Amino acid sequence: MSFDITITTDQLSKYYGSIRGVENISIKVPAGGVGFLGPNGAGKTTLIRTLLGIIRPTKGTAHVLGYDIKSDINQIRDRIGYIPEFNTAFIPDMTAMKFIAFCGRMNGLSGAESKQRASDSLYYVGLGEERYRKLGTFSLGMKQKVKLASALVHDPEIIIADEPTNGLDPNGRIQMLDLIRNLQTDQNKHVILSSHLLRDVEQTTDYAIVFSEGEILAQGRIKDLTSGRSTSISVKVKNNEEQFINSLKNDGLEVWVEGGYIEVTKSVNIEKVIFRTAYEAGAEIRYFGSRSRTLEDVFVDLFKDKEGIQ
Amino acid sequence: MSDETGQNDAYVRKFTFRPFTGLRRGRVYRIWSISWQWWTHEWDRSRAIKILIGFQLFTLLITNIILLSFRGLIPGIATEQLLEDTLISLVRGIVSFRTEIHADTNGSGDEFGNGGFTIGGSSFFILILCVLVGSGLIADDITNKTNEIYYAKLEKYEYIAGKFGAYFIFGNVIITLPYVLEFFLLFIGLGNMDFVTVFPVLIHVILFTEIVNLTFSAIILALSSLTGRRLYAGLTAFMLLFLANMIVPTLAFNTGQEIGLPLLTDVLTLLLICSYIIDGDTIISLTDFEGIEHTLNLTNGVGIEGWMILGSLGLVIMFGVLIVVFQVNRRHSS
Ligand SMILES: Nc1ncnc2c1ncn2[C@@H]1O[C@H](COP(=O)(O)OP(=O)(O)OP(=O)(O)O)[C@@H](O)[C@H]1O
Ligand SMILES: [Mg+2]
Repeated sequence: MSFDITITTDQLSKYYGSIRGVENISIKVPAGGVGFLGPNGAGKTTLIRTLLGIIRPTKGTAHVLGYDIKSDINQIRDRIGYIPEFNTAFIPDMTAMKFIAFCGRMNGLSGAESKQRASDSLYYVGLGEERYRKLGTFSLGMKQKVKLASALVHDPEIIIADEPTNGLDPNGRIQMLDLIRNLQTDQNKHVILSSHLLRDVEQTTDYAIVFSEGEILAQGRIKDLTSGRSTSISVKVKNNEEQFINSLKNDGLEVWVEGGYIEVTKSVNIEKVIFRTAYEAGAEIRYFGSRSRTLEDVFVDLFKDKEGIQ
Repeated sequence: MSDETGQNDAYVRKFTFRPFTGLRRGRVYRIWSISWQWWTHEWDRSRAIKILIGFQLFTLLITNIILLSFRGLIPGIATEQLLEDTLISLVRGIVSFRTEIHADTNGSGDEFGNGGFTIGGSSFFILILCVLVGSGLIADDITNKTNEIYYAKLEKYEYIAGKFGAYFIFGNVIITLPYVLEFFLLFIGLGNMDFVTVFPVLIHVILFTEIVNLTFSAIILALSSLTGRRLYAGLTAFMLLFLANMIVPTLAFNTGQEIGLPLLTDVLTLLLICSYIIDGDTIISLTDFEGIEHTLNLTNGVGIEGWMILGSLGLVIMFGVLIVVFQVNRRHSS
């Protein structure tokens, strides 16, 4: 089966009592690699756990690979490999092999199949040599890989990794992200990487959905998000801001306000035009900068916007 | 097989990460895999379980040797009666610590001296082990945060069923199986009896031990999910079962002529009385620390009645299961 869209949600909300987890989330997650990006408490984990049926949505619906989370959750569970964000300690005195095979059986693999696939998965994540060691002796980085193996053993179509680089050293982090990216590029899995670290997402996926405070702020190809408005100049003015903006617009320039900054699309002699217009409009320029925007900027801005509204 | 593919990374990736094309197994298989995985793991790592099994079998062996060697010295008792008395008092031994009971009417296990062949302390070991082993069942998942992995693969009720199943495997191996085995050993060893006559004894043994398993599992799993820590679950379960058994009967004896309602909070005594109810006894005597007997009529409409005993056990089991369900669905995964 191939899907253009792997996950759709419609007005999905989850409240923990009065605390908002996510609110009115309507997204279409494209196939391939997708990053769920957002600061702590943004609702990424809440959304993921809802998609897996670990928690029930307060309202709204969602479909994964065409299956409804309300009626076909077990179909979904067999098709998702989930790496929880928690620092799982597993069963300390069980070997990695046994544990992963057990995970396979919980997803309906037969005994022989689960053993074989457990071994395959552990090799895949680079723990082939250590597969008969007890999990209690594993380092944090190894445990993260075991989690990945537990998510792969039943051959899911979608891998959802929730903060998989938590607590890893730089080397471990690169390895983990490599493994996850390879799942998409070499193994044709759909991969969702949830992280509050932009660089993790940037390195792993092409597409990002940006979360904040339980809502979706932006979504798109990371290339577009980063380069789409990189040709603008940011200006901050004091006094007569509105007049200044209107004058610029009347000059035929593309102008918009974002994060407290006035953004003007670059053109020939743009600096001169801006300063002259400001002078004529009686606006005092406080900030003038050409910004080559990275997703980080977008990201920071998006949250700044958000705070400004509230 | 991947095991032979060697260390070459590229090779491994190319040849081992095959797509899964088979059919997935059903839900019962998955529930069972939780139970069985837990049991085999506990069996592998726990010396205590093996020791207890050995101890159980040893006890039964001694019982058999004594019984068979002195068989000739006990005239006038039919072999069927002998089997019944021995076996029933053995299973009652599982829950007899403090409370000593015998039926006023002649029933199972009385003619031959109550608990005559139960080696004291085995029941204590059984209880300790049940508590020790069972208290980690859910608590360990919370401590180690593995429950999120289970919930991502299974329904919560399947997880719960798997955990209860796990306890039942344990309970059946540790408690039920040895006594069923003993039944057949005595049946063959004593010889010369009609299976149909002694069949009710087998039923009694199975029914009673399963009630014990059910009650223990409900209490232990409830505390395991409630505390979320193996140690606390173990301690509270032990206190609830054992300390209640030490304290409650004394309170109950001091309330008047018939034994008072506080007795209903002593689960082990409830279980013990349950065995007499299975046997059809209606008037039983409980012996206190000073050796004074207190009569309990289960059908006279005064004080504790038979239905209260069964009802209390039912409530314990029901509450235990409800607590587990609530904890797993609300607290552990909200
Ligand atoms: N079990 C819970 N009970 C109550 N509130 C919760 C619970 N889980 C999450 N929340 C709240 O829901 C909101 C979203 O949390 P969530 O864990 O989904 O965010 P996140 O994006 O995954 O953050 P992080 O990067 O820290 O993992 C937060 O305000 C959080 O406090
Ligand atoms: Mg999270």
